[in-house]
Amino acid sequence: MDFWLSYATLAAIYVLLGLSTNLLVGIAGIFSVSQAAVFGVGAYIVSYLLMNDLTTFLPAMLVAAAFCVVLNVLVTLPALRVSGDYFVVTSFGIQLLATAIFTNWTAGTGGANGLPGIPPADLFGKTLDTSTDLVMLSVGAMVLGCIAFWLIMRAPFGRLLRAIREDELAVAAAGKNVLRAKVSAAALAGAFAGSAGGLYATFLSFIDPSSFDLDASILLLTMVVVGGARTLAGSIIGPFLLLALPQVLSLIDIPTTIAAAARQLIYGVLLIAFMLFRPQGLAGEKL
Amino acid sequence: MSEYLTATGLEVSFGGLRALQDCSFTVERGRITCLVGPNGAGKTTIFNVITGFLRPNAGSVSFQGTSLDGLKPQAIVAAGIARTFQNLRLFVDLTALDNVVVALPAQSGEEPLAAIFRPLHVARTQARRREEAIRILEHVGLADRAGEFVRNLSYGEQKLLTVARGLATGAELLLLDEPASGLSASALEQIMLLLRRLQSEGKTLLVVEHNTRVVQQIADEVLFLHQGHLMARGTPEQIISDPTLAEIYFGGAI
Repeated sequence: MDFWLSYATLAAIYVLLGLSTNLLVGIAGIFSVSQAAVFGVGAYIVSYLLMNDLTTFLPAMLVAAAFCVVLNVLVTLPALRVSGDYFVVTSFGIQLLATAIFTNWTAGTGGANGLPGIPPADLFGKTLDTSTDLVMLSVGAMVLGCIAFWLIMRAPFGRLLRAIREDELAVAAAGKNVLRAKVSAAALAGAFAGSAGGLYATFLSFIDPSSFDLDASILLLTMVVVGGARTLAGSIIGPFLLLALPQVLSLIDIPTTIAAAARQLIYGVLLIAFMLFRPQGLAGEKL
Repeated sequence: MSEYLTATGLEVSFGGLRALQDCSFTVERGRITCLVGPNGAGKTTIFNVITGFLRPNAGSVSFQGTSLDGLKPQAIVAAGIARTFQNLRLFVDLTALDNVVVALPAQSGEEPLAAIFRPLHVARTQARRREEAIRILEHVGLADRAGEFVRNLSYGEQKLLTVARGLATGAELLLLDEPASGLSASALEQIMLLLRRLQSEGKTLLVVEHNTRVVQQIADEVLFLHQGHLMARGTPEQIISDPTLAEIYFGGAI
Protein backbone atom coordinates (compact mmCIF):
# COMPACT_ATOMS: atom_id res chain seq x y z
CA MET A 1 0.00 0.00 0.00
CA ASP A 2 2.76 2.40 1.00
CA PHE A 3 4.35 1.63 -2.34
CA TRP A 4 1.37 3.03 -4.24
CA LEU A 5 1.12 6.08 -2.00
CA SER A 6 4.75 6.96 -2.48
CA TYR A 7 4.38 6.46 -6.23
CA ALA A 8 1.35 8.80 -6.29
CA THR A 9 3.15 11.38 -4.14
CA LEU A 10 6.18 11.42 -6.38
CA ALA A 11 4.10 11.45 -9.57
CA ALA A 12 2.05 14.40 -8.27
CA ILE A 13 5.27 16.33 -7.63
CA TYR A 14 6.47 15.53 -11.13
CA VAL A 15 3.16 16.76 -12.53
CA LEU A 16 4.07 20.19 -11.16
CA LEU A 17 7.39 19.86 -12.95
CA GLY A 18 5.61 18.70 -16.09
CA LEU A 19 3.39 21.79 -15.95
CA SER A 20 6.47 23.95 -15.49
CA THR A 21 8.26 22.38 -18.45
CA ASN A 22 5.13 22.47 -20.57
CA LEU A 23 4.63 26.18 -19.90
CA LEU A 24 8.18 27.02 -20.83
CA VAL A 25 8.93 24.57 -23.63
CA GLY A 26 5.52 23.63 -24.99
CA ILE A 27 3.63 26.87 -24.68
CA ALA A 28 6.14 29.70 -24.65
CA GLY A 29 8.49 27.85 -27.02
CA ILE A 30 11.56 28.46 -24.85
CA PHE A 31 13.42 25.18 -25.25
CA SER A 32 15.02 24.83 -21.84
CA VAL A 33 17.04 21.78 -20.81
CA SER A 34 17.73 23.17 -17.34
CA GLN A 35 14.39 22.87 -15.55
CA ALA A 36 15.83 20.28 -13.15
CA ALA A 37 18.34 22.87 -11.98
CA VAL A 38 15.53 25.20 -10.93
CA PHE A 39 13.76 22.23 -9.33
CA GLY A 40 16.97 21.55 -7.38
CA VAL A 41 17.36 25.12 -6.18
CA GLY A 42 13.81 24.98 -4.80
CA ALA A 43 14.61 21.72 -3.03
CA TYR A 44 17.85 23.01 -1.49
CA ILE A 45 16.26 26.27 -0.32
CA VAL A 46 13.39 24.54 1.45
CA SER A 47 15.80 22.01 2.98
CA TYR A 48 18.09 24.77 4.23
CA LEU A 49 15.26 26.77 5.78
CA LEU A 50 13.70 23.74 7.49
CA MET A 51 16.93 22.08 8.64
CA ASN A 52 18.08 25.29 10.28
CA ASP A 53 14.67 25.84 11.78
CA LEU A 54 14.40 29.25 10.16
CA THR A 55 10.78 29.00 9.05
CA THR A 56 7.93 26.55 8.91
CA PHE A 57 7.04 24.68 5.73
CA LEU A 58 4.68 27.13 3.98
CA PRO A 59 6.90 30.22 4.29
CA ALA A 60 9.84 28.09 3.15
CA MET A 61 7.85 27.07 0.07
CA LEU A 62 7.01 30.70 -0.64
CA VAL A 63 10.67 31.73 -0.36
CA ALA A 64 11.69 28.87 -2.66
CA ALA A 65 8.98 29.70 -5.19
CA ALA A 66 9.86 33.39 -5.18
CA PHE A 67 13.56 32.66 -5.54
CA CYS A 68 12.92 30.26 -8.41
CA VAL A 69 10.72 32.83 -10.15
CA VAL A 70 13.66 35.23 -10.22
CA LEU A 71 16.12 32.48 -11.09
CA ASN A 72 14.05 31.13 -13.97
CA VAL A 73 13.55 34.60 -15.40
CA LEU A 74 17.31 35.19 -15.28
CA VAL A 75 18.05 31.77 -16.74
CA THR A 76 15.62 32.20 -19.64
CA LEU A 77 16.52 35.82 -20.39
CA PRO A 78 19.14 34.66 -22.92
CA ALA A 79 16.29 32.90 -24.75
CA LEU A 80 14.74 36.25 -25.40
CA ARG A 81 17.97 37.40 -27.05
CA VAL A 82 19.29 34.36 -28.89
CA SER A 83 17.07 32.21 -31.06
CA GLY A 84 15.96 28.65 -30.37
CA ASP A 85 18.91 26.47 -31.36
CA TYR A 86 21.42 28.66 -29.59
CA PHE A 87 19.39 28.79 -26.44
CA VAL A 88 19.47 25.00 -26.08
CA VAL A 89 23.25 25.27 -25.84
CA THR A 90 23.04 28.13 -23.33
CA SER A 91 20.52 26.23 -21.29
CA PHE A 92 22.69 23.12 -21.39
CA GLY A 93 25.54 25.20 -19.94
CA ILE A 94 23.30 26.51 -17.18
CA GLN A 95 22.33 22.96 -16.25
CA LEU A 96 25.99 21.83 -16.10
CA LEU A 97 26.85 24.89 -14.01
CA ALA A 98 24.03 24.13 -11.58
CA THR A 99 25.11 20.48 -11.25
CA ALA A 100 28.68 21.61 -10.55
CA ILE A 101 27.46 23.92 -7.80
CA PHE A 102 25.16 21.29 -6.27
CA THR A 103 28.03 18.80 -6.25
CA ASN A 104 30.87 21.01 -5.07
CA TRP A 105 29.35 23.52 -2.69
CA THR A 106 29.66 21.10 0.20
CA ALA A 107 28.82 23.62 2.92
CA GLY A 108 25.48 24.56 1.35
CA THR A 109 24.29 21.42 -0.42
CA GLY A 110 26.20 18.65 1.26
CA GLY A 111 27.97 18.05 -2.06
CA ALA A 112 27.73 14.67 -3.72
CA ASN A 113 26.79 13.06 -0.38
CA GLY A 114 23.58 15.06 -0.37
CA LEU A 115 21.54 16.42 2.49
CA PRO A 116 20.10 13.80 4.84
CA GLY A 117 17.55 14.42 7.58
CA ILE A 118 15.35 17.04 5.98
CA PRO A 119 12.39 17.58 8.33
CA PRO A 120 8.94 16.58 7.10
CA ALA A 121 6.46 19.18 5.90
CA ASP A 122 4.06 20.77 8.33
CA LEU A 123 0.80 22.61 7.81
CA PHE A 124 -0.86 24.85 10.39
CA GLY A 125 1.18 23.39 13.26
CA LYS A 126 0.59 19.78 12.26
CA THR A 127 3.54 17.71 11.13
CA LEU A 128 2.79 15.70 8.01
CA ASP A 129 4.73 12.49 8.35
CA THR A 130 2.42 9.63 7.44
CA SER A 131 2.32 8.55 3.83
CA THR A 132 -1.36 9.46 3.66
CA ASP A 133 -0.57 13.03 4.81
CA LEU A 134 2.15 13.30 2.22
CA VAL A 135 0.09 12.03 -0.65
CA MET A 136 -2.68 14.47 0.30
CA LEU A 137 -0.19 17.34 0.42
CA SER A 138 1.40 16.66 -2.94
CA VAL A 139 -1.84 15.77 -4.68
CA GLY A 140 -3.34 18.96 -3.21
CA ALA A 141 -0.43 20.96 -4.60
CA MET A 142 -0.82 19.19 -7.93
CA VAL A 143 -4.52 20.05 -8.08
CA LEU A 144 -3.77 23.72 -7.31
CA GLY A 145 -1.10 23.70 -10.00
CA CYS A 146 -3.46 22.11 -12.52
CA ILE A 147 -6.20 24.64 -11.77
CA ALA A 148 -3.74 27.51 -12.22
CA PHE A 149 -2.50 26.01 -15.49
CA TRP A 150 -6.04 25.50 -16.75
CA LEU A 151 -7.08 29.05 -15.86
CA ILE A 152 -4.03 30.46 -17.58
CA MET A 153 -4.50 28.46 -20.73
CA ARG A 154 -8.07 29.60 -21.22
CA ALA A 155 -7.31 33.23 -20.34
CA PRO A 156 -6.06 35.81 -22.83
CA PHE A 157 -2.56 35.15 -21.47
CA GLY A 158 -2.70 31.57 -22.73
CA ARG A 159 -3.95 32.66 -26.12
CA LEU A 160 -1.21 35.28 -26.30
CA LEU A 161 1.45 32.67 -25.54
CA ARG A 162 0.10 30.35 -28.22
CA ALA A 163 0.14 33.20 -30.71
CA ILE A 164 3.71 34.07 -29.73
CA ARG A 165 4.82 30.49 -30.28
CA GLU A 166 3.33 30.62 -33.77
CA ASP A 167 4.55 34.02 -34.89
CA GLU A 168 6.28 36.46 -32.59
CA LEU A 169 6.53 39.16 -35.19
CA ALA A 170 2.81 39.11 -35.90
CA VAL A 171 2.09 39.41 -32.17
CA ALA A 172 4.36 42.43 -31.94
CA ALA A 173 2.60 43.88 -34.99
CA ALA A 174 -0.69 43.48 -33.12
CA GLY A 175 0.68 45.80 -30.46
CA LYS A 176 1.51 43.25 -27.79
CA ASN A 177 4.53 43.12 -25.54
CA VAL A 178 6.11 39.80 -26.49
CA LEU A 179 8.98 40.11 -24.04
CA ARG A 180 6.73 40.65 -21.05
CA ALA A 181 4.57 37.65 -21.91
CA LYS A 182 7.61 35.39 -22.21
CA VAL A 183 9.10 36.64 -18.96
CA SER A 184 5.75 36.00 -17.24
CA ALA A 185 5.68 32.44 -18.57
CA ALA A 186 9.23 31.86 -17.34
CA ALA A 187 8.35 33.29 -13.93
CA LEU A 188 5.36 31.03 -13.60
CA ALA A 189 7.36 27.99 -14.68
CA GLY A 190 9.92 28.92 -12.02
CA ALA A 191 7.28 29.07 -9.29
CA PHE A 192 5.99 25.62 -10.29
CA ALA A 193 9.46 24.06 -10.39
CA GLY A 194 10.54 25.67 -7.10
CA SER A 195 7.44 24.46 -5.25
CA ALA A 196 7.93 20.99 -6.67
CA GLY A 197 11.49 21.07 -5.31
CA GLY A 198 10.28 21.88 -1.80
CA LEU A 199 7.72 19.10 -1.85
CA TYR A 200 10.28 16.66 -3.17
CA ALA A 201 12.85 17.45 -0.47
CA THR A 202 10.42 17.17 2.43
CA PHE A 203 8.87 14.02 1.00
CA LEU A 204 12.14 12.10 0.57
CA SER A 205 13.89 13.77 3.55
CA PHE A 206 17.09 13.27 1.55
CA ILE A 207 18.29 15.02 -1.59
CA ASP A 208 21.46 14.81 -3.62
CA PRO A 209 22.62 16.33 -6.94
CA SER A 210 21.67 13.25 -8.96
CA SER A 211 17.98 14.24 -8.77
CA PHE A 212 18.66 17.60 -10.37
CA ASP A 213 21.13 16.82 -13.13
CA LEU A 214 20.90 16.83 -16.91
CA ASP A 215 19.29 13.38 -16.94
CA ALA A 216 16.54 14.78 -14.74
CA SER A 217 15.99 17.73 -17.09
CA ILE A 218 15.78 15.37 -20.03
CA LEU A 219 13.36 13.15 -18.11
CA LEU A 220 11.12 16.22 -17.69
CA LEU A 221 11.26 16.89 -21.43
CA THR A 222 10.50 13.24 -22.10
CA MET A 223 7.45 13.47 -19.82
CA VAL A 224 6.14 16.42 -21.81
CA VAL A 225 6.85 14.75 -25.14
CA VAL A 226 5.25 11.43 -24.14
CA GLY A 227 2.31 13.01 -22.29
CA GLY A 228 1.72 15.67 -24.89
CA ALA A 229 2.72 19.30 -25.19
CA ARG A 230 0.53 22.22 -24.25
CA THR A 231 -2.31 20.34 -22.62
CA LEU A 232 -3.21 19.76 -19.01
CA ALA A 233 -3.91 16.07 -19.65
CA GLY A 234 -0.49 15.65 -21.26
CA SER A 235 1.24 17.21 -18.26
CA ILE A 236 -0.48 14.73 -15.97
CA ILE A 237 -0.22 11.57 -18.06
CA GLY A 238 3.49 11.97 -18.85
CA PRO A 239 4.80 11.96 -15.25
CA PHE A 240 2.44 9.23 -14.04
CA LEU A 241 3.40 6.99 -16.93
CA LEU A 242 7.16 7.50 -16.89
CA LEU A 243 7.45 7.22 -13.11
CA ALA A 244 5.61 3.91 -13.27
CA LEU A 245 8.41 2.53 -15.42
CA PRO A 246 10.98 2.03 -12.60
CA GLN A 247 8.27 0.33 -10.55
CA VAL A 248 7.45 -1.99 -13.41
CA LEU A 249 11.14 -2.75 -13.90
CA SER A 250 11.48 -3.57 -10.22
CA LEU A 251 8.85 -6.28 -10.66
CA ILE A 252 10.95 -7.95 -13.30
CA ASP A 253 13.70 -10.09 -11.89
CA ILE A 254 16.82 -8.25 -13.06
CA PRO A 255 19.80 -6.97 -11.06
CA THR A 256 19.43 -3.35 -9.85
CA THR A 257 22.58 -2.28 -11.68
CA ILE A 258 21.02 -3.27 -14.96
CA ALA A 259 17.62 -1.88 -14.02
CA ALA A 260 18.95 1.70 -13.76
CA ALA A 261 20.61 1.44 -17.15
CA ALA A 262 17.54 -0.21 -18.64
CA ARG A 263 15.39 2.66 -17.36
CA GLN A 264 17.58 5.28 -19.04
CA LEU A 265 17.59 3.23 -22.19
CA ILE A 266 13.81 2.98 -22.25
CA TYR A 267 13.42 6.71 -21.57
CA GLY A 268 15.72 7.45 -24.50
CA VAL A 269 13.92 5.07 -26.83
CA LEU A 270 10.55 6.53 -25.81
CA LEU A 271 11.76 10.07 -26.45
CA ILE A 272 13.00 9.21 -29.93
CA ALA A 273 10.01 7.05 -30.81
CA PHE A 274 7.49 9.69 -29.78
CA MET A 275 9.35 12.47 -31.55
CA LEU A 276 9.37 10.39 -34.74
CA PHE A 277 6.02 8.68 -34.70
CA ARG A 278 3.75 10.61 -32.39
CA PRO A 279 5.03 14.16 -31.88
CA GLN A 280 1.75 15.21 -30.29
CA GLY A 281 2.31 12.72 -27.47
CA LEU A 282 -0.51 10.71 -25.94
CA ALA A 283 -2.80 13.64 -25.19
CA GLY A 284 -1.32 16.82 -26.50
CA GLU A 285 -0.25 18.83 -29.48
CA LYS A 286 2.86 18.69 -31.59
CA LEU A 287 5.84 20.15 -29.76
CA MET B 1 -4.09 70.50 -45.06
CA SER B 2 -2.20 69.42 -41.94
CA GLU B 3 0.06 66.47 -42.41
CA TYR B 4 -1.11 63.17 -41.03
CA LEU B 5 1.82 60.87 -41.63
CA THR B 6 5.11 62.39 -42.69
CA ALA B 7 8.33 60.61 -43.59
CA THR B 8 11.40 62.74 -44.11
CA GLY B 9 14.73 61.75 -45.60
CA LEU B 10 14.54 58.04 -44.81
CA GLU B 11 17.73 56.10 -45.45
CA VAL B 12 17.96 52.34 -45.01
CA SER B 13 20.79 50.15 -46.19
CA PHE B 14 21.28 46.41 -45.85
CA GLY B 15 25.01 45.96 -46.23
CA GLY B 16 25.81 47.46 -49.61
CA LEU B 17 22.20 47.56 -50.76
CA ARG B 18 20.50 50.90 -50.27
CA ALA B 19 16.86 50.02 -49.81
CA LEU B 20 15.71 53.58 -49.14
CA GLN B 21 17.56 56.73 -50.06
CA ASP B 22 16.39 60.18 -49.11
CA CYS B 23 12.83 58.95 -49.17
CA SER B 24 10.25 61.56 -48.17
CA PHE B 25 6.48 61.49 -48.52
CA THR B 26 3.26 62.33 -46.74
CA VAL B 27 -0.02 60.51 -46.32
CA GLU B 28 -3.19 62.50 -45.82
CA ARG B 29 -5.92 61.68 -43.38
CA GLY B 30 -8.96 59.84 -44.62
CA ARG B 31 -7.53 58.92 -48.00
CA ILE B 32 -6.46 55.72 -49.66
CA THR B 33 -2.86 56.14 -50.71
CA CYS B 34 -1.29 53.46 -52.87
CA LEU B 35 2.39 52.78 -52.78
CA VAL B 36 3.53 51.42 -56.14
CA GLY B 37 6.82 50.72 -57.82
CA PRO B 38 8.82 47.85 -59.27
CA ASN B 39 10.05 44.97 -57.10
CA GLY B 40 12.80 46.07 -54.76
CA ALA B 41 11.69 49.70 -54.82
CA GLY B 42 11.49 49.67 -51.02
CA LYS B 43 7.75 49.49 -50.42
CA THR B 44 7.80 46.87 -47.68
CA THR B 45 10.89 48.51 -46.18
CA ILE B 46 8.83 51.68 -45.75
CA PHE B 47 6.21 49.66 -43.88
CA ASN B 48 8.88 48.15 -41.66
CA VAL B 49 10.26 51.59 -40.85
CA ILE B 50 6.89 53.19 -40.10
CA THR B 51 5.81 50.33 -37.82
CA GLY B 52 9.06 50.23 -35.88
CA PHE B 53 10.34 46.85 -37.10
CA LEU B 54 13.29 48.46 -38.79
CA ARG B 55 15.29 51.41 -37.58
CA PRO B 56 16.32 53.71 -40.45
CA ASN B 57 19.95 54.79 -40.74
CA ALA B 58 18.69 58.33 -41.13
CA GLY B 59 15.46 60.24 -41.45
CA SER B 60 12.34 60.36 -39.35
CA VAL B 61 8.64 59.56 -39.36
CA SER B 62 5.98 61.53 -37.56
CA PHE B 63 2.32 60.75 -37.09
CA GLN B 64 -0.22 63.47 -36.26
CA GLY B 65 2.58 65.79 -35.28
CA THR B 66 4.33 63.31 -32.96
CA SER B 67 7.64 61.70 -33.82
CA LEU B 68 7.64 57.91 -34.05
CA ASP B 69 11.43 57.66 -34.12
CA GLY B 70 12.85 54.99 -31.87
CA LEU B 71 9.44 53.71 -30.76
CA LYS B 72 8.86 49.97 -30.43
CA PRO B 73 6.21 48.29 -32.63
CA GLN B 74 3.79 48.04 -29.72
CA ALA B 75 4.03 51.78 -29.01
CA ILE B 76 3.37 52.52 -32.67
CA VAL B 77 0.28 50.32 -32.64
CA ALA B 78 -0.86 52.16 -29.53
CA ALA B 79 -0.34 55.44 -31.38
CA GLY B 80 -2.83 54.21 -33.98
CA ILE B 81 -0.93 52.54 -36.81
CA ALA B 82 -1.35 48.85 -37.66
CA ARG B 83 -0.05 46.78 -40.53
CA THR B 84 -0.63 43.56 -42.40
CA PHE B 85 2.06 41.38 -43.93
CA GLN B 86 2.45 40.33 -47.52
CA ASN B 87 2.90 36.72 -46.36
CA LEU B 88 -0.10 37.13 -44.00
CA ARG B 89 1.56 35.82 -40.80
CA LEU B 90 -1.74 34.62 -39.37
CA PHE B 91 -1.80 32.30 -36.37
CA VAL B 92 -2.74 29.20 -38.33
CA ASP B 93 -3.38 26.97 -35.32
CA LEU B 94 -5.87 29.42 -33.85
CA THR B 95 -9.43 30.06 -35.01
CA ALA B 96 -10.31 33.10 -37.08
CA LEU B 97 -12.01 34.54 -34.01
CA ASP B 98 -8.96 34.05 -31.79
CA ASN B 99 -6.73 35.68 -34.39
CA VAL B 100 -8.85 38.80 -34.00
CA VAL B 101 -9.20 38.55 -30.22
CA VAL B 102 -5.42 38.38 -29.78
CA ALA B 103 -5.08 41.72 -31.54
CA LEU B 104 -7.65 43.57 -29.42
CA PRO B 105 -5.97 46.20 -27.23
CA ALA B 106 -4.73 45.43 -23.70
CA GLN B 107 -6.97 42.83 -22.18
CA SER B 108 -7.65 41.90 -18.62
CA GLY B 109 -6.25 38.44 -18.07
CA GLU B 110 -3.28 38.98 -20.32
CA GLU B 111 -1.23 38.82 -17.12
CA PRO B 112 -0.94 35.37 -15.57
CA LEU B 113 -1.74 36.58 -12.06
CA ALA B 114 -5.03 38.12 -13.16
CA ALA B 115 -5.80 34.89 -15.02
CA ILE B 116 -5.28 32.84 -11.85
CA PHE B 117 -6.72 35.08 -9.17
CA ARG B 118 -9.56 36.85 -10.96
CA PRO B 119 -10.94 34.14 -13.25
CA LEU B 120 -14.54 35.36 -13.11
CA HIS B 121 -13.63 38.90 -14.00
CA VAL B 122 -11.47 37.61 -16.84
CA ALA B 123 -14.28 35.38 -18.10
CA ARG B 124 -16.71 38.31 -18.14
CA THR B 125 -14.39 40.61 -20.04
CA GLN B 126 -13.56 37.73 -22.37
CA ALA B 127 -17.19 37.39 -23.35
CA ARG B 128 -17.27 41.08 -24.21
CA ARG B 129 -14.08 40.76 -26.21
CA ARG B 130 -15.48 37.88 -28.18
CA GLU B 131 -18.52 39.94 -29.14
CA GLU B 132 -16.27 42.76 -30.20
CA ALA B 133 -14.20 40.38 -32.31
CA ILE B 134 -17.34 38.93 -33.92
CA ARG B 135 -18.44 42.44 -34.87
CA ILE B 136 -15.09 43.00 -36.55
CA LEU B 137 -15.38 39.69 -38.38
CA GLU B 138 -18.89 40.66 -39.51
CA HIS B 139 -17.45 43.88 -40.79
CA VAL B 140 -15.02 42.13 -43.10
CA GLY B 141 -17.59 39.47 -43.98
CA LEU B 142 -16.12 36.53 -42.07
CA ALA B 143 -18.60 36.20 -39.20
CA ASP B 144 -19.78 32.78 -40.37
CA ARG B 145 -16.17 31.54 -40.37
CA ALA B 146 -15.39 32.71 -36.83
CA GLY B 147 -14.91 29.24 -35.34
CA GLU B 148 -12.88 27.91 -38.25
CA PHE B 149 -9.16 27.32 -37.92
CA VAL B 150 -7.15 29.60 -40.16
CA ARG B 151 -5.69 26.71 -42.14
CA ASN B 152 -9.22 25.82 -43.28
CA LEU B 153 -9.90 29.28 -44.66
CA SER B 154 -9.47 30.11 -48.35
CA TYR B 155 -6.66 32.44 -49.32
CA GLY B 156 -9.13 35.27 -49.90
CA GLU B 157 -10.67 34.73 -46.48
CA GLN B 158 -7.21 34.73 -44.92
CA LYS B 159 -6.48 38.08 -46.55
CA LEU B 160 -9.70 39.51 -45.13
CA LEU B 161 -8.71 38.14 -41.75
CA THR B 162 -5.41 40.02 -41.81
CA VAL B 163 -7.40 43.22 -42.32
CA ALA B 164 -9.70 42.23 -39.45
CA ARG B 165 -6.68 41.70 -37.24
CA GLY B 166 -5.41 45.14 -38.12
CA LEU B 167 -8.79 46.66 -37.36
CA ALA B 168 -8.91 44.89 -33.99
CA THR B 169 -5.96 46.92 -32.76
CA GLY B 170 -8.17 50.00 -33.07
CA ALA B 171 -5.67 51.68 -35.36
CA GLU B 172 -6.92 54.51 -37.57
CA LEU B 173 -4.10 54.23 -40.08
CA LEU B 174 -3.82 50.81 -41.68
CA LEU B 175 -0.80 49.79 -43.72
CA LEU B 176 -1.84 46.96 -46.02
CA ASP B 177 0.86 45.01 -47.81
CA GLU B 178 -0.58 43.70 -51.09
CA PRO B 179 -4.11 42.98 -49.84
CA ALA B 180 -5.29 42.09 -53.35
CA SER B 181 -2.47 39.94 -54.69
CA GLY B 182 -3.28 36.38 -55.63
CA LEU B 183 -7.03 36.80 -55.28
CA SER B 184 -9.78 35.55 -57.55
CA ALA B 185 -11.95 38.14 -59.30
CA SER B 186 -14.77 37.89 -56.79
CA ALA B 187 -12.46 38.01 -53.77
CA LEU B 188 -10.81 41.01 -55.37
CA GLU B 189 -14.14 42.82 -55.62
CA GLN B 190 -14.87 41.97 -52.02
CA ILE B 191 -11.62 43.37 -50.70
CA MET B 192 -11.88 46.56 -52.76
CA LEU B 193 -15.37 47.13 -51.41
CA LEU B 194 -14.06 46.59 -47.90
CA LEU B 195 -11.24 49.10 -48.34
CA ARG B 196 -13.68 51.68 -49.66
CA ARG B 197 -16.00 51.05 -46.74
CA LEU B 198 -13.17 51.41 -44.22
CA GLN B 199 -12.30 54.72 -45.80
CA SER B 200 -15.87 55.95 -45.53
CA GLU B 201 -15.76 55.07 -41.83
CA GLY B 202 -12.81 57.35 -41.30
CA LYS B 203 -9.84 55.03 -41.63
CA THR B 204 -6.77 56.10 -43.52
CA LEU B 205 -5.13 53.45 -45.69
CA LEU B 206 -1.64 53.14 -47.08
CA VAL B 207 -1.66 50.22 -49.48
CA VAL B 208 1.14 48.48 -51.34
CA GLU B 209 -0.37 47.24 -54.57
CA HIS B 210 0.86 45.86 -57.87
CA ASN B 211 -2.40 45.45 -59.69
CA THR B 212 -2.91 48.67 -61.68
CA ARG B 213 -6.62 48.02 -62.05
CA VAL B 214 -6.98 47.86 -58.27
CA VAL B 215 -4.89 51.00 -57.86
CA GLN B 216 -7.07 52.83 -60.37
CA GLN B 217 -10.21 51.81 -58.59
CA ILE B 218 -9.30 52.50 -54.99
CA ALA B 219 -6.49 55.05 -54.83
CA ASP B 220 -7.06 58.70 -54.09
CA GLU B 221 -3.38 59.24 -54.43
CA VAL B 222 -0.46 57.21 -55.69
CA LEU B 223 3.11 57.35 -54.47
CA PHE B 224 5.53 55.99 -57.05
CA LEU B 225 8.65 54.58 -55.53
CA HIS B 226 11.77 53.74 -57.49
CA GLN B 227 15.14 52.60 -56.10
CA GLY B 228 14.18 53.60 -52.60
CA HIS B 229 13.20 57.10 -53.55
CA LEU B 230 9.84 58.79 -54.08
CA MET B 231 9.86 59.45 -57.79
CA ALA B 232 6.39 60.82 -58.38
CA ARG B 233 3.08 61.35 -56.69
CA GLY B 234 -0.33 62.09 -58.13
CA THR B 235 -3.72 60.68 -58.98
CA PRO B 236 -3.80 57.16 -60.44
CA GLU B 237 -4.52 58.65 -63.89
CA GLN B 238 -1.51 60.95 -63.73
CA ILE B 239 0.81 58.16 -62.65
CA ILE B 240 -0.45 55.59 -65.12
CA SER B 241 -0.39 57.96 -68.06
CA ASP B 242 3.20 59.04 -67.40
CA PRO B 243 5.31 57.23 -70.02
CA THR B 244 8.54 57.44 -67.99
CA LEU B 245 6.93 55.75 -65.01
CA ALA B 246 5.30 53.11 -67.21
CA GLU B 247 8.70 52.41 -68.72
CA ILE B 248 10.20 51.92 -65.25
CA TYR B 249 7.31 49.86 -64.04
CA PHE B 250 6.83 47.60 -67.03
CA GLY B 251 9.98 48.06 -69.06
CA GLY B 252 12.35 46.67 -66.50
CA ALA B 253 14.62 49.72 -66.48
CA ILE B 254 17.09 49.44 -63.64
